[in-house]
Amino acid sequence: MHPLYGTTAVAGIGLRQYKRGASPLPEQGVLVEAILAACADAGFDPAEVDGFVSYGDDKNEPVRLMPALGTRELKWSSVVWGGGGGGVAGAFGLAAAAILSGQASAVIVFRALVEGSSGRLSAAVMAHHLNDHMLAAGIVAPAQVCAIRANRMYEHHGVPASVAEELVRASYYHGSRNPEAVAYGSEFDLEEMRNSRWIAEPFRLFDCSRENDGAAAFLMVSAERARDLKRPPAYLLGCANGAEKGWGDLLENDDEALYATAGFRPIARRLYAETGLSPADIDVVQLYENFSAQGVASLIDHGFCTYENVAEVVRFDNLIAPTGKLPVNTGGGNFAQGFIHGIGTAYEAVKQLRGESANPVPGARTCLLAGGPGAPTVSSAIFANEIP
Amino acid sequence: MDANDGADAPYWNGLAEGRLMLPRCGGCGDWLWPAVSRCGPCGSETIEWVERSMRATIFSWTRTWHRFGFTESLDLPFVSIVATVDDCGIRLLGRLDDPDQVDPAIGEAIAGRIGATRVEGRDIPTIIWSRG
Ligand SMILES: [Zn+2]
Repeated sequence: MHPLYGTTAVAGIGLRQYKRGASPLPEQGVLVEAILAACADAGFDPAEVDGFVSYGDDKNEPVRLMPALGTRELKWSSVVWGGGGGGVAGAFGLAAAAILSGQASAVIVFRALVEGSSGRLSAAVMAHHLNDHMLAAGIVAPAQVCAIRANRMYEHHGVPASVAEELVRASYYHGSRNPEAVAYGSEFDLEEMRNSRWIAEPFRLFDCSRENDGAAAFLMVSAERARDLKRPPAYLLGCANGAEKGWGDLLENDDEALYATAGFRPIARRLYAETGLSPADIDVVQLYENFSAQGVASLIDHGFCTYENVAEVVRFDNLIAPTGKLPVNTGGGNFAQGFIHGIGTAYEAVKQLRGESANPVPGARTCLLAGGPGAPTVSSAIFANEIP
Repeated sequence: MDANDGADAPYWNGLAEGRLMLPRCGGCGDWLWPAVSRCGPCGSETIEWVERSMRATIFSWTRTWHRFGFTESLDLPFVSIVATVDDCGIRLLGRLDDPDQVDPAIGEAIAGRIGATRVEGRDIPTIIWSRG
């Protein structure tokens, strides 16, 4: 069995989320609150946390959190490389690596984003990637980068553009029923979506995730230790992060067969091989959708459907809890739960496995967390509430 | 980010002189893009810069309607493309003339001329493509 399989777990979670620009505290203050909430959730002394992991160029270096948290000793602080959200799931693997190798014992995985402190996320992500080739072509935003790939998937690979709408509707359906979601209580208007303004073709406004202020934190410990804490453990069964040859930061010169994917083919291969699971074993999916088409591409990469049958699988009825066979983004996802660089998808993964989701999937035991699609390096993880 | 001293400096210098120059491995002959200092597959560190004609096909595209920062010099909407350069297969980012807002088609033949995009007071040379 792979060393990651069921040997660590998320024992506590904390989330603070606000409208963009509306955070009552600066970024570090919101983050400290989320970490304290995660520790309180687990019944764990925050001073005992000895490791931190983040991703996506988070600006909060862990050593600076020590005074507010009362941290006794910092033993592990690391990030997953990459400017986009590709590393969100990989961050849990990094935390597990620290714990399993004995380099730390209680690790917080976090992401914090407050516009007043760090500026716009989209601008920060692009600052990581921009070069003169892109600037000269007028390609300056993640929406455009993903739009070019989306058009290739639709036009060349024959994926009907209508599937994107199904995914967006499912996210808003779940979000409208989740009290912690930005879309809570709102009625989704399909015509409003279809008539929303163009951003970069094929994307209209509703194909794009929109940023929030906030932070989320997850306390990870060994599986054994998690069983002694207050809440039911969400075990990490497997995690993969990276890129294969022909994919990456290649100025659009990715391998032709990989170009329109979300970059997850090698990730999914490893994840399933190392856990012994297959798409049929996944009960619910939390999917990072920066843009609608990339969410669809991510589902294809992870083996839930193919270019050929995507329209049969990515249907609103099939994507919603409790009745759909492939419930996706049961908290509302980045579109409708909220977008703090995708960390909310991990939050919903744990809520769902604890039976605390606002849109529970009956009997759900496993949850796939797919990180930011289309990024040069991407990652995914599988969590479970029991070890199969 | 904007200094012409990276591995792709001959590309930028070529555009400034009115020519499209692209890199090929002196060992195995593979075209290499993005520009690199060493050919990964064969290990050669001899990189030859070869002129290519500005003829290509459309690999993919997007038409931008939202006013993103850094695009202030471009009239909305504008079309950005990935172009596969003939006789080498290297894909370049560029802009496509879009006078009638006819959607580009993947595989469509295009021809380029050298222009520039003004970004924050700096003119970045680029290939502006048009159909036919
Ligand atoms: Zn070579």
